[in-house]
Amino acid sequence: MRVELESVRFAYGSVTILDRFSAQFPSMKVTVLLGPSGCGKTTILNLLAGLLTPQAGSVRVGDKPPTDIRVGYMFQDVRLIPWLTVKRNLDLILPQRLPLEARLDRIRSVLRLVGLEQALSLFPDQLSGGMYRRVGMARAYLYEPDLYLMDESFQGLDPPLKFQLLSMFQQLRSNSPKTTIFVTHDIEEALLVGDEILLLSPIPTRIVHTLRNPVPIEDRVPGNQEIARLEGELFTLFRKEQLQLGEERV
Amino acid sequence: MPSPEGRRSLLTIRIVSLCSFLLLWKLASQWMDSPIILPSPEDTLKETWILLNARGFYQSFGATLVRGITGFFLSILLGLCMGILSGKSYLFREFFRPFLTSVQSTPVLAIILLALIWFPTETVPVFVAFLMGFPIITTNVVEGILAVDRRLIEMAKVYRIEPWRRILYVVLPSILPYLVGGASSALGLSWRVVVASEVLSQPILGIGTGMQEAKLRLETARVFAWTLAALVLSYSTESIFRWIVKRLKRLA
Repeated sequence: MRVELESVRFAYGSVTILDRFSAQFPSMKVTVLLGPSGCGKTTILNLLAGLLTPQAGSVRVGDKPPTDIRVGYMFQDVRLIPWLTVKRNLDLILPQRLPLEARLDRIRSVLRLVGLEQALSLFPDQLSGGMYRRVGMARAYLYEPDLYLMDESFQGLDPPLKFQLLSMFQQLRSNSPKTTIFVTHDIEEALLVGDEILLLSPIPTRIVHTLRNPVPIEDRVPGNQEIARLEGELFTLFRKEQLQLGEERV
Repeated sequence: MPSPEGRRSLLTIRIVSLCSFLLLWKLASQWMDSPIILPSPEDTLKETWILLNARGFYQSFGATLVRGITGFFLSILLGLCMGILSGKSYLFREFFRPFLTSVQSTPVLAIILLALIWFPTETVPVFVAFLMGFPIITTNVVEGILAVDRRLIEMAKVYRIEPWRRILYVVLPSILPYLVGGASSALGLSWRVVVASEVLSQPILGIGTGMQEAKLRLETARVFAWTLAALVLSYSTESIFRWIVKRLKRLA
């Protein structure tokens, strides 16, 4: 499903975030939006999710507006409902016309995929940071979306957990490949996940550089030499463009 | 929840407090030496016993109960609707704000007197209880609606959760603490204004009616006995309300 933004303009009051911004995201691939904090990455995701409407230009997913497609959005802050258990949080997004047992089977199988079968009856505040993100990932997957949107989904996690979740994400994607837009300000994460990486400038956002990731998915692991080389290349580009990286990398 | 020792010491404090109050009352009544001005605690107790066995007491008690509960439920129903509308629409909220502020600032007595002109005596206490509780419920529901986490609403929108389930699982649980707080205040206030309205409107049966009749006959001990009945009514309904809320929370 081809995703496209064409001459989009969006401003919060007097602050222009996007001005005649155009981008195309290839079908069935993971496109990473890489850029400094506050450069409008989340705004692009919210436009694609139909949560924001462009003030000019158009946003199309396939041939439809974003409100007509199913979006699996993994929010930066996950957004589980705090007073519902994991089971009820996931059940809420399933069609209620399905029998309860069928819904429960689907929930159990998705939780098994992310290694959380035992968390069914836990409340969000009883989950660790990593478990919380995994439930968010499970919810997006369970929804069977046409398009995945992932907003700094692994930010702030310690590296081993982050890589565990990244490989889990790749595994889920290989089960059901869908067009995915992944937002991050971490270069290594971008290279481990992305098939295509769009380097963004500070606002008003523009695409500074497009990189097609030559490393095959199975080789995208931390410590891979090619990944390390590309990381250096992107980092140089950042500096060249005098972009300010996220605090983690500075 | 306090430990068993904590509960015991709390009970001791309450018993000592009650005994001190009764002792003070007894001493004051002896010093006054006039049962019309201040009857002794034992006279009041005796009068309460007589009242409990008097013909029509339970009907009066029931009549006040029905009026208070009716006014209270009306204020919940309309307060909830108005609160949701005001919470959702800035225009609606600002349009009704002067009305709510005026009602909240108007002396209860003025409202009772106007209600006496407008309504039959039986309806006056219900109307006043409703009018006093309604702004409290509305204001609290508006606060609750404004406190609903917008991020959860966005999530529900993205995952296309049906509007009624958004309300049931996202909006209502968010406003529930505010609604319970408002309802609790409205319920407490409801008994005070219902009895006050009955004193002035004099329906055939009612705690306030009994109180006023006892006052006219200068039966101060009986006024105290009716007051005790009003206290029991207020305390028991508050306890039942708290119990229902607890059960509802457990069910959710």
